[in-house]
Amino acid sequence: MSFQKKFALVVVVFGVLVAAWISVEFKSEEVPFISVNDLLEKHDQFSQARFRLGGNVDDGSIFYSDDKLTVSFLLKQDESVLPVNFTSAEIPDLFKDGAEVIVEGAYDEGVFHADNLMTKCASRYDEEGEYQTPEMEG
Amino acid sequence: MFAVLGNAMLAMSLLFGVFGIIIVSLSMVGANDYRFLKSGRMAFLSSSALVVFSTIILVYELMISNFSIIYVAKYTSIETPLLYKFTGLWAGMEGSLLFWLAIQSFFFILVILQNRKKHPRLMPWVMITMAVIQMFFLILINFFENPFDPVQKGMVVNGQGLNPLLQHWAMVLHPPALYLGFIGFSVPFAFAMAAIITKNLDAVWIQTTRRWTLITWVLLTIAIIMGGKWAYVELGWGGYWAWDPVENASLLPWLTATAYLHSVLIQEKKNMLRLWNMILIMLTFTLTIFGTYLTRSGIVSSVHAFAATDLGIWFFGFIILIIVVNAVLLIIRRKELESKNKLESFVSRESGFLFNNMLFISMMLAVIWGTMYPIFSEAVTGFKITVGSPYFNRIMIPLGLITLALTGIGPLLAWRKTSIRSLKRNFILPIVSALLLTAIIAVIMDLKMVYPLVSIGLMVFVSMTILSEFYRGMKARMRMTGEGMFKSLFTMIDKNRSRYGGYIVHVGIIMMFAGFTGKAFDKEADLSMMPGDIQTLSNYEITYVEQWFESPDSNPDTRSNHVAKIVKLDVKKNGKKFHIMEPEKRFYTDQNNQPHSEVAVKTTLNEDFYIVLGDVDLKTGLATMKVRINPMVTWVWLGTFVLLIGTMVSINIEEFFRRKTK
Repeated sequence: MSFQKKFALVVVVFGVLVAAWISVEFKSEEVPFISVNDLLEKHDQFSQARFRLGGNVDDGSIFYSDDKLTVSFLLKQDESVLPVNFTSAEIPDLFKDGAEVIVEGAYDEGVFHADNLMTKCASRYDEEGEYQTPEMEG
Repeated sequence: MFAVLGNAMLAMSLLFGVFGIIIVSLSMVGANDYRFLKSGRMAFLSSSALVVFSTIILVYELMISNFSIIYVAKYTSIETPLLYKFTGLWAGMEGSLLFWLAIQSFFFILVILQNRKKHPRLMPWVMITMAVIQMFFLILINFFENPFDPVQKGMVVNGQGLNPLLQHWAMVLHPPALYLGFIGFSVPFAFAMAAIITKNLDAVWIQTTRRWTLITWVLLTIAIIMGGKWAYVELGWGGYWAWDPVENASLLPWLTATAYLHSVLIQEKKNMLRLWNMILIMLTFTLTIFGTYLTRSGIVSSVHAFAATDLGIWFFGFIILIIVVNAVLLIIRRKELESKNKLESFVSRESGFLFNNMLFISMMLAVIWGTMYPIFSEAVTGFKITVGSPYFNRIMIPLGLITLALTGIGPLLAWRKTSIRSLKRNFILPIVSALLLTAIIAVIMDLKMVYPLVSIGLMVFVSMTILSEFYRGMKARMRMTGEGMFKSLFTMIDKNRSRYGGYIVHVGIIMMFAGFTGKAFDKEADLSMMPGDIQTLSNYEITYVEQWFESPDSNPDTRSNHVAKIVKLDVKKNGKKFHIMEPEKRFYTDQNNQPHSEVAVKTTLNEDFYIVLGDVDLKTGLATMKVRINPMVTWVWLGTFVLLIGTMVSINIEEFFRRKTK
């Protein structure tokens, strides 16, 4: 086998390995973005432990703990409502009644424990746009 | 009044551009008349100048707050400080597209003037390529996103003002640097297109655009880091990089461009990899357009995916067009792109560069996969799959570390083939010192984490190889010429700027890796405190002193457009006085009282102490805050600075100006 062919073989093997590795890591870290309704009804059908949900903060549902470090609220999407807990000193600036939010975390016995709460941001370009992420590292 | 003129200029620019493309094409078929080419050149200069003028008009309208233009009313207000009225140019979709176009047009003018008497075979195609890019953005602006559109009904008394998040120095510099760093690649791309169309496939097109490419690359690097700096101090989540789709969009072309910078060296030296370099620059340019699209389309990171802008489909079409044209050209010219020189060994400089390229391409694919999969997954599986930082970190940290290792190994390999003897001679010292130092650090710091240890070892290893390169080159020169130490060091660098400049860039990269590695040692705490309370995080002790309120009435000079709740914290480090910190919660009165957390950061060389005020009850004094210790962050910014110096050494800025003034 010529050296050129050998090198090409190395490149191909490397490429396959990297592709396999990327897909394995992707699989292990993926978080389904599902509707509140799907979570409530089908959460046991998913193999993943973590979910991402979107919806609005139900009016009048926001409560803070005494030290103000934990906030609980009802996440409303269409007709489904889900209680959510989030513990952090950094509640996003735009978090309030009716705000559009995305939460990420785990579901346990009817309550969603979020470790990431994002609010829709007064965006850079236009009304639809980016989310302000107070805490990406969870 | 002026707005009408600006509008007309944009329309005329489009006409001039189309005329130019037609007449330059004619100059190459049949007619082959120099006068055709000359008037084509004039047409392109005119179309570009018109764009620049109309941009100046928009800036003027922003400055004088002419709220009869929707764009001006939307992104500035009377209260907006003058500097930010100016930056309003790129605060919104329409203006940012015009700004993009203005930079591209400015580059177009430069390229035409620079090469008036050079590259007669390449230039017509360079101009046509650049004109087509210009036409695309002119069409978008003229027909879909016109920044001069007037307010239809009634009169706007005051505009909406600029988003307070954007009112920061890094956001003044970040977008222009990013745009320059994106659009600059259209020049090497245009030359590549010209080269492949006219079959001039040696290294001429690469050498001609070397300086463009390097300057563009360094601007893109600085822009990306500056965006991180902005996120770090303004967004308040304590980091500078979150693998957000918009960030990823700017990283993608950087990865392929960095691969390109390395692999063109092989073509210049050995006339190999002609096809590959062509692919890399095409990919880089396509990714800059893709990035421009991604940040504007709203297709990523929005719950209501696929936001309904007309632009998306146009960008998508343009990207497809670029890919198809490029692919066809590559296929037609595949014979001419073959190289005569062949690889001879795995352990050679050539192979080193190729492995470097494989790593950069792998990183690019990993990032694009993680960014785009969420969009495709919805179509395939019915619900959206997302990934966050953990996915990116798990792939990018190891790949980044391997790349760092290559930074040390590559430059010590000989071209064609490296002998075992030279391997031993070059690598023993760096490897031994790396192992030794890492072991010492591991013991002293009681460090058991794998990646940080590997990273520390590699940083030492690469630093040693670079040092020994400088040392050996200097010694050899001193022996040869009998010059003193510093003189021979400087003449050595001057004689081989691209090589030693490259090493200095690598030093900057090592410093940045030091900063990235510090991330592994981040500490944070959520605190809830009353005035007088004392809390600790690691070796820091925080005393909550007091809280108060400031408004435009109480502090007209510093708080003209917002009110602020402020807490005062007395911070001690290791029991000694460290710093008084005053994080704020602001509400911008000209922005519907939009809240904004102003973080307090105390930077030292080895770590940042970082506080975000969650909220404070002014009556009771109950305050929540997030406190972070971020080790080594400063090294990311310092490394960028060194990287900039290295690139300037490499470009030989001095000679550039000397030639200009002649």
